[in-house]
Amino acid sequence: MTGAAILLVFVLAAFLADVISTHNPTRLVPGSRLRPPGGEHLLGTDEFGRDIYSLVIHGSRVSLLVGVTTMLLTSLGGVLVGLLAGFSRRLDAMVMRVMDGMMAFPAILLAIALMAARGPGVWNVIMALSIVYMPRTAILIRSTVLGLRDLDYVQAARALGRRDLVIAFRHILPNCVGPLLVQGSFIFAYAILAEAILGFLGVGVPPYVPSWGNVIASGKNVIREAFWVSLCPGAALTLAGLSLNLLGDGLRDVLDPRLRVQ
Amino acid sequence: MSSYLLRRVLAVIPVMVVVVTIVFFLIHLIPGDPVAVMLGPEATPSQIQAARAGLGLDRPLHEQLFTFYARILRGDLGHSYFLDRPVTRALAERAEPTIVLTLSALFVAVAIGVPSGIVAAAHRGSWWDRGLMFLSLLGVCIPGFWLSLNFIFLFAVRLGWLPAAGYASIWVDPRTALTYMVLPAVSLGFNQSALIARIARSCMLDVLQQDYIRTARAKGLSPGVVTYVHAFRNALVPVVAVIGITTAILIGGAVVTEIVFNIPGLGRLIISAILRRDYPVVQGVVLVTAAAYVIINLLVDLLYAFIDPRIRYD
Amino acid sequence: MTGSVVFRKAFLVLAAAALAAGTAVPPALAQVKGGVLRVGNLGEPPALDAHWTTASITETLTNHIYEGLYSLDKDKKPIPMLAEGHTVSKDGLVYTFKLRQGVKFHNGKEMTSDDVVASLVRWGKQSIYGKALFAQVTDVKAVDKYTVDLRLKEKSAIVLISLAVPNNFGAIYPKEIAEKFEPAVKATEYIGTGPYKLAEWKPDQYIRMVRFDDYKSRNEKPNGYGGGKTAYADEIRWVPVPEVATRVAQVETGELDFADDLNLDAYDRIKKSTAARPIVAKPYYWLVAVFNKKEGLMTNQKLRQAWQAAIDIEPIMKTVAGGKSEFYRMDSSLAPVEITAWHTKLSGLPWNERNKDKAKRLLQEAGYKKEPIRFMTTQEYKWMYDFALLTKQQLEDVGFNIDLQVVDWATLVKRRNNPKEYDAFTTGIGAAYDPTHHVYLTAAWPGWNNDETMLSISAELARETDPKKRMALWERQTRLFYEKVPVIRYGDLFGMRAARNNVKGFDESNERLRFYNVWLEK
Repeated sequence: MTGAAILLVFVLAAFLADVISTHNPTRLVPGSRLRPPGGEHLLGTDEFGRDIYSLVIHGSRVSLLVGVTTMLLTSLGGVLVGLLAGFSRRLDAMVMRVMDGMMAFPAILLAIALMAARGPGVWNVIMALSIVYMPRTAILIRSTVLGLRDLDYVQAARALGRRDLVIAFRHILPNCVGPLLVQGSFIFAYAILAEAILGFLGVGVPPYVPSWGNVIASGKNVIREAFWVSLCPGAALTLAGLSLNLLGDGLRDVLDPRLRVQ
Repeated sequence: MSSYLLRRVLAVIPVMVVVVTIVFFLIHLIPGDPVAVMLGPEATPSQIQAARAGLGLDRPLHEQLFTFYARILRGDLGHSYFLDRPVTRALAERAEPTIVLTLSALFVAVAIGVPSGIVAAAHRGSWWDRGLMFLSLLGVCIPGFWLSLNFIFLFAVRLGWLPAAGYASIWVDPRTALTYMVLPAVSLGFNQSALIARIARSCMLDVLQQDYIRTARAKGLSPGVVTYVHAFRNALVPVVAVIGITTAILIGGAVVTEIVFNIPGLGRLIISAILRRDYPVVQGVVLVTAAAYVIINLLVDLLYAFIDPRIRYD
Repeated sequence: MTGSVVFRKAFLVLAAAALAAGTAVPPALAQVKGGVLRVGNLGEPPALDAHWTTASITETLTNHIYEGLYSLDKDKKPIPMLAEGHTVSKDGLVYTFKLRQGVKFHNGKEMTSDDVVASLVRWGKQSIYGKALFAQVTDVKAVDKYTVDLRLKEKSAIVLISLAVPNNFGAIYPKEIAEKFEPAVKATEYIGTGPYKLAEWKPDQYIRMVRFDDYKSRNEKPNGYGGGKTAYADEIRWVPVPEVATRVAQVETGELDFADDLNLDAYDRIKKSTAARPIVAKPYYWLVAVFNKKEGLMTNQKLRQAWQAAIDIEPIMKTVAGGKSEFYRMDSSLAPVEITAWHTKLSGLPWNERNKDKAKRLLQEAGYKKEPIRFMTTQEYKWMYDFALLTKQQLEDVGFNIDLQVVDWATLVKRRNNPKEYDAFTTGIGAAYDPTHHVYLTAAWPGWNNDETMLSISAELARETDPKKRMALWERQTRLFYEKVPVIRYGDLFGMRAARNNVKGFDESNERLRFYNVWLEK
């Protein structure tokens, strides 16, 4: 519940960014460079004199967009591939080797290559991260399906002459929701963090667009002179990650039938 | 068993071919020019053109790809433009730091992750549980470079306990090597311990509800024995799987750690090779890490069978 | 005890004063041989072949291993290095160089005219400065073992300066190496005559240079990049440390004795430190936006003038310099103050006008309709990104539409060669020691200055040997520069280095690092 509440605050902040921010987050004010928190600037300013509070508020838009979309795309792709592999013994080996190939591919290279080929951009970040994280979800779903495939109630459904597709969606998929949510909440946090790491390497969303990753990355340069620059978006990121994981845990507890019994 | 092994190994080959081909095209499709980087800011286009021809970069892409395949078959990964040495040698030089870093980070991650997962599960819902899980979540959420830089400032600059950055080979001087490796291993391992802790906790929870554990409890065995002897071994199976994945993530995560702590490993090599467009080196690193990943996963599968006798491959 | 400390302090102050005055070296007593000097720098050199690349890290490293016929004194004027001296024929078409005798290469071989000829020929085909000079050269040949003749097509003003520049320089290699490697292929054998020789090169770990015991020093005192050179440290170990925060930390902990290219925000902290001191590296670069004058929007001169009129340079420089006035300088001369011979003091130039009305008027006259202007920059050099971002805001305030493209350096240096792919890009202009060495004024360099008048002045500057007439031409060129605006000159940016207190004798007036004549106090 706490998780959901914190997350709601972030979502609201993202939607109301224009209203609740105190400054224009992209306006550079060379004169008020690296002001410490307090006074006119609630959380201080960065090395271009931009207001950190407003940057973090506006940054939540990009960061939440990256997190949520990546989570959705990986879940969608992961479920499809996982179900396919779990159900078709013929396709299983092939699909899993492809997943191996994708997992073996250095994520950072793929992301950099995509960024460099297509230019930095939010959607390129999302695409790169989704491709990188999708196999993890797929492997998870497959192993869940394999575990369920031979259970009594599925066998019963099969004996009744239900088609595979129906079995997959009616009987198996609902049981995958629990692990999927846990995994999804992890991927959400990873994606926002990965965006920060890509920013660190100079290949994230364009560096002048406010995002938590970009502010953290720019704060790295002055981490000892002006700790607040990277600390504030870092705290926001940690809080969002925490809330999601709490939410994931909560959902797991609710959805996992065995845990409910106890 | 052995036929399973053979099939797994053979299945690796097409995967590697595809990975390598994709890498080849990806890196060549990225704009940028290794020669323009090397010749420096004042170089003129005509100079760059002349030097490109010297490296064979003016030949059509498909021709370059075939040369590349032909070389691989002979075990030759090509020659680095920037480093003036065969790629195989460049890789061999960088492998040790990355292996040492990955293994020590893995050690830290397991040493933190597994015990805290088990303790949390054994005391489900208590403050122990909440505290440990909160810490592990913090581990997921703190960016690696942030932790690394602050470790340097605290332990090296402020306290002077450990060197800030650098690397020493364990074969030459193990003691020095250890002092260099502490900060990178802890900052990289702490990040990864979170996932292991959470998986370990949830596996333990699952196992603790199995009938045989209840039986053991009913027989009057002490809770400690039940938890740490009976449950632990069975909870280990998925944890081993996660460790396999973690190793792959660690190889990727090592990039940032290697840059911040100035460790001359594969992670740093691939980043600088990408930035310099040193194509042969990028291809070489991808090939090697992909192979490492596949081998690790093979080992993990075999470990499964060892830990859990019910799993047999036919 | 206390007395001796006070004495030592007083002595140090005196020594420092003597250094600052540039008059004398500290007493010989203080100089000690020995030790390993560990230097942290940004990255890995693309080559240790001085003829081959203009990369500044290669310049720094190779100047410890190799030497040219000439070098630069503290006023950046040519002085003999491997040459004993030269004579010029009456018609000005033949330069005869006498070489110093008994100078040994690192492989023990004596340097003779054959080595010089082979090296200069190779350099003349590959180096940008060599090519410029060799456009005027008909022939270079050995007269005897210690004499070399350079024959010219036309009178030349740039013979000595070209042989003296430290970047992409005319390093003398043994004949065997100079002839073994084609000019366009980088040399991978490293034998020079310099005070240090290459001992080991482990990419991403270190480059080790050790003292060359048979080095034959000139008898003069150290002077700028030239004069006498003594290798005090047994070894210089160049350690590439890509992360700047780590570089700073390692100087503080003493893991490095010296670090280059630090972030300017760290200045105050290092200044307060009791173990290390900051050093301001001048002139480093002047910041520049280079226009594509071959194709696209910026071929319109009025648009370029509008950019020049609109920008307010001081706040840009101050931000790029980490808010510290120690690290930037407002100056419109194309040659920095440090190059005294070519620094101009012209008034009435339209530099840093901060005139928004003029800019808007020029935009209108140019017929500009908010078409996006593709402005390329990179974060790999943070200062480039910083000044590009600030420029974008200032220009958009007067009605420009700037499409800021942040790419990596490899992409930028590739794209800037293709006139279809950009309208402007950022870079820095390092010290150019002669008016003919300003690359952005040439037609061959990206951006392609195609202004006939400016090109003909450059050609005349290469031929004219009378210093006074050359200065007049250079002043005319400068005025034309501000009218035609081939590029935008921002301010001078300085760099920051840090040295541990035990590093002595480092000449802070040199732009690039030189570690001969530097010793480690025990």
